Amino acid sequence: MVDLSKLREIAGEVISRDDVRELIGYRPGTYGFRTRPAFVYEPGEVDQLIYTPACVNNLATYITLEEKLPVPRGQEPDTRKVAVMVKGCDSRALVQQLEEKAYDRERILILGIPCTGVVDMAKVEARFPGILETGEISLEGDKFVLSFDGKSEKVAKEELLAEKCRRCRYPTPLVYDQLLDDEVKRFAEDDYSDIEELEKRSGEEKWAYWEEKFSRCIRCYSCRNVCPMCYCEDCVLDRLRPQWMRRSVDTSENTAFHVARAYHLAGRCIQCGECQRVCPVDIPLMELNRKFYKDVEELFDYEPGTETEAEPLLSTFKVDDSQEYIM
Amino acid sequence: MAEKTNSDFEPNIVAFLCNWCSYAGADLAGTSRIEYPPNVRIIRVMCSGRVNPLFIMNALQQGADGVLISGCYPGDCHYMQGNYYARRRFNLMRNFLEYLGVEPERVRMSWVSASDGIRWKEVIEEVTEGVKTVGPMDKFKRRQLNW
Amino acid sequence: MAVKKLSKEKMGDVLAELGKFRLIAPAKSDEVVIFKEIQDPGEVFLDYGNSTVPPKKMVFPQTETLFRFQVGKPELAEKNVEEEGTTVIFGLRPCDARAMSIVDKLFGWDYDDPYYQKRRELTTLVGMACVEPPSINCFCTSVGGSPFGTEGLDMMLTDLSDDNYLVRALTEKGEKLQETLADYLGDAGDRDEKKAEELASQAEDKIKRSIDPGGIPDKLPQLWEHELWKRVSDSCLGCGICTFLCPTCHCFDIQDEVEETGEGRRARMWDSCMFSEYTVHASGHNPRPTRKERTRNRINHKYSYYPERFDVIACVGCGRCINLCPVNIDILDILEQVVEA
Repeated sequence: MVDLSKLREIAGEVISRDDVRELIGYRPGTYGFRTRPAFVYEPGEVDQLIYTPACVNNLATYITLEEKLPVPRGQEPDTRKVAVMVKGCDSRALVQQLEEKAYDRERILILGIPCTGVVDMAKVEARFPGILETGEISLEGDKFVLSFDGKSEKVAKEELLAEKCRRCRYPTPLVYDQLLDDEVKRFAEDDYSDIEELEKRSGEEKWAYWEEKFSRCIRCYSCRNVCPMCYCEDCVLDRLRPQWMRRSVDTSENTAFHVARAYHLAGRCIQCGECQRVCPVDIPLMELNRKFYKDVEELFDYEPGTETEAEPLLSTFKVDDSQEYIM
Repeated sequence: MAEKTNSDFEPNIVAFLCNWCSYAGADLAGTSRIEYPPNVRIIRVMCSGRVNPLFIMNALQQGADGVLISGCYPGDCHYMQGNYYARRRFNLMRNFLEYLGVEPERVRMSWVSASDGIRWKEVIEEVTEGVKTVGPMDKFKRRQLNW
Repeated sequence: MAVKKLSKEKMGDVLAELGKFRLIAPAKSDEVVIFKEIQDPGEVFLDYGNSTVPPKKMVFPQTETLFRFQVGKPELAEKNVEEEGTTVIFGLRPCDARAMSIVDKLFGWDYDDPYYQKRRELTTLVGMACVEPPSINCFCTSVGGSPFGTEGLDMMLTDLSDDNYLVRALTEKGEKLQETLADYLGDAGDRDEKKAEELASQAEDKIKRSIDPGGIPDKLPQLWEHELWKRVSDSCLGCGICTFLCPTCHCFDIQDEVEETGEGRRARMWDSCMFSEYTVHASGHNPRPTRKERTRNRINHKYSYYPERFDVIACVGCGRCINLCPVNIDILDILEQVVEA
C-alpha cells in the first residue's frame, strides 16, 4: 500500500518545482466510495491527494485531453511539465503515447504507482448501496477493507476486484520518473478465455449479442473521450467530410461507430478498461478491444504500450505476415 | 436465411481493385471475353494500401452483400509496400467483423496479377458463390425505410 | 374522479390493456433498465429505481426525421409529424415527468415545435411514485420537485406495499385512461389514501442530499470570471453523459442525410453543449474552446438563463449526472462552490 504521507511529500516537492505547472492525482469523491481526479497547482493543495484501490480513473488521458489554445500575442507558451500519477495499466498509455510521438518525454513527469488491483465501483455500490458519507477503501492482505459511517467491513478481494485486474500483466508502471511504492511483481496472466468463448458462438448468436449492445448505445462519446489513446484533433468519429458514421443513433450507425473506434485502437489499446467502466449503458467495450488485442498478439507478436522505442503496429509489416484468409 | 442458395438472389459485391495489378487483370478478363458473374461493382484505387478498412464497414452499411479487396502479389506492389500494409489491415478487420457475426464469406481479399484474367474469373466466381450461400446482407444495413 | 386501487396481480392485465395503445414502460436490456416500446407485457420491469436514459427519449427521440425529400423535387418533400395513435408512458418517475413540463416551455416558446408538441399531445404519462429514492444522489426536493410530485403526470400510481397500488387520475387524459382500465381497478378507501400520504412524507425525508438554490440564479452572472470554473472543469472529459442522461436537456443538431439516389431526409439528433464542436462556427472559431467555458455554460444555462426566461430551474434533481459522470463531477458540489463564492 502506498504510504500517504510519502505520496503527499513527493507531490509537494514535485509541484514546488519551477518547471512543473500542475500535478494530476486522485482525491476523495463527493459521495460514497468514489474517488475523482485531483488537479494540484500549489504545494498547499497536496493534502487532498490519496491513493487507494478506489482510484480507478486513468489519469494519463488528461495529458492528451488538455486543449492547446493559441497563445495570445506577446505571451510565451507555457512549456512547464505536467506531473501525473499513473498505475501500471495507466503507464502503458503514456508509453504508447510516447511511442506515437504524441508529445516530448520532457513535457511530463511521471509518478508511478505499482498497483495490486482496483475495485469495480459498480460491484462496490451493489454490495453497499445507499452510502452517502465519504467512505474509504483499503487493502489488507487479500481483503478489501471498506470504512464508512464509522464502521468498517472486510470483503474478499476476489469479490470486488475489477475484471481487468484479474488479467493484469503490468502492475508496475513501465515508465516513470519516480516510483511511489515498491515494485509489484506480475500476479496474473491474460489467456483471452473471455474472447475465445465469444469466438466460439455461431454467427447468428454473435450478431444477436452485439445488436442488443449496440442498440443501447446513446453515442455519448464517453468511451472515446476517456480513452487515453483517442486524442486525434480531427477524430474519424466526428468528421463530416467524409462522414464515416452519421450522427443519427441507430443500430447501423452505432455499429459503424464501434467498429471504427475499435479498429482505430488496433495495436494501440493498452487495456486500461476505462471505456467499459464509463459506458452509461454497460456495453462490454473491452470485448471489442480485446479481440483486436488478441489478434494483434497472435498474428503480429506485438503488445502496445510496452516499449517507447517500438514501432507502431500498422506502420510496420513483415514479409511473412499471415496470408491465411487471402485468396 | 443463411442457407439460401436461392438462384433468385443476385448479390451486390463491391470490389476495390488496385490499379496496377488487379484492375489490369480484371480488364484483361474483359478483353479476353472471359465470362464471369456480373455481380461485382469495381472501384479502382491506385493501390490496395489505399483501402481504408472502414470502406468495408461502410460498403456493408450501404447495402453491399460482400466486399472484395484485391491487390498485387506481395513483393510486386507498384508502390513497394502498399499491399503489405493492406494485408495487415485486412487480417485484423476481417477477423473482427467475423467476431461481430458478419459471415466470413462476405469480406474477402485476393492477390490478382495484371496478366491473370483467368484467375480473376476464378476469384469472382468463388466470392460470388460464397456470398450467394450466405444470402443478402441485412445485419447493420442503413434502414432508410425507417425514416 | 374517484381514487382507485389496483391489485398487483392485475398489473399484467392492465399492461395488456395498455398494450392496445403504444405502450412504453421500463424493461431490461441485459441488466440495464431502459424505457422501450413494449410488445409483450411480460417484459415490463417495475422493480427499478430509475432508468439510465430518461423517458424524454420517447417524446423527444434521439433521432427524429423532420422531413423527407427528393433532391431536385422540392414539391415532394413530406413533413414527418406524428398524426395519430395514443402513446402511454407507464411507470416513469415524478422527476422525469416534471422535466417534460419544464422542457415543454421551450418547445412552445419562440416557435411551436410541431414534432414535439404533437408527440406530447398524443402521450399520456402514468407515473410511479418514489416510495424509496431511486438513488442516493436524488435531490428533487431542492429544486421544486418531490418523490410523490404530480406535476406533468396524467395519472399516478403509488405502491402501498401491501400488494396494491393507489391509482389517481390527475388530468383529463388521465381520466380517459382510467376509464379504459375500469375493469381492473377497485375503489380506494380512506385508509389507502392515508397510507399514501404517510409514504409521501416519509419519502421526502429519505432524500439525503440538498442545496438551497434560491440565490443561485442571481449570483451566477456575477461569477463569470471566477476561478471556480477552471477548478470544477479540469477533470471533465467533454463527453455527453450528463447532457444525454439529463431529463431536462434538449439541445439538438440538424443534419441532412442523402443517398446516392437523391432521396434523403433532414433529421435532428441530440447534441451536447459539452462536446467541443458544439459551438464551432462555420469560420472555425469556437467561442467555447475549452471544457471550462462549456461547464460554465452548462451550469449557467440550467440555473440562470432558463430560470430567467421561464421562471423555473432546468434541473429536476434526478441525480443521473452525478451517478454516471465518469470523473465524479457533481453538480451539487459545483453549486455549493457557487453559493460560497
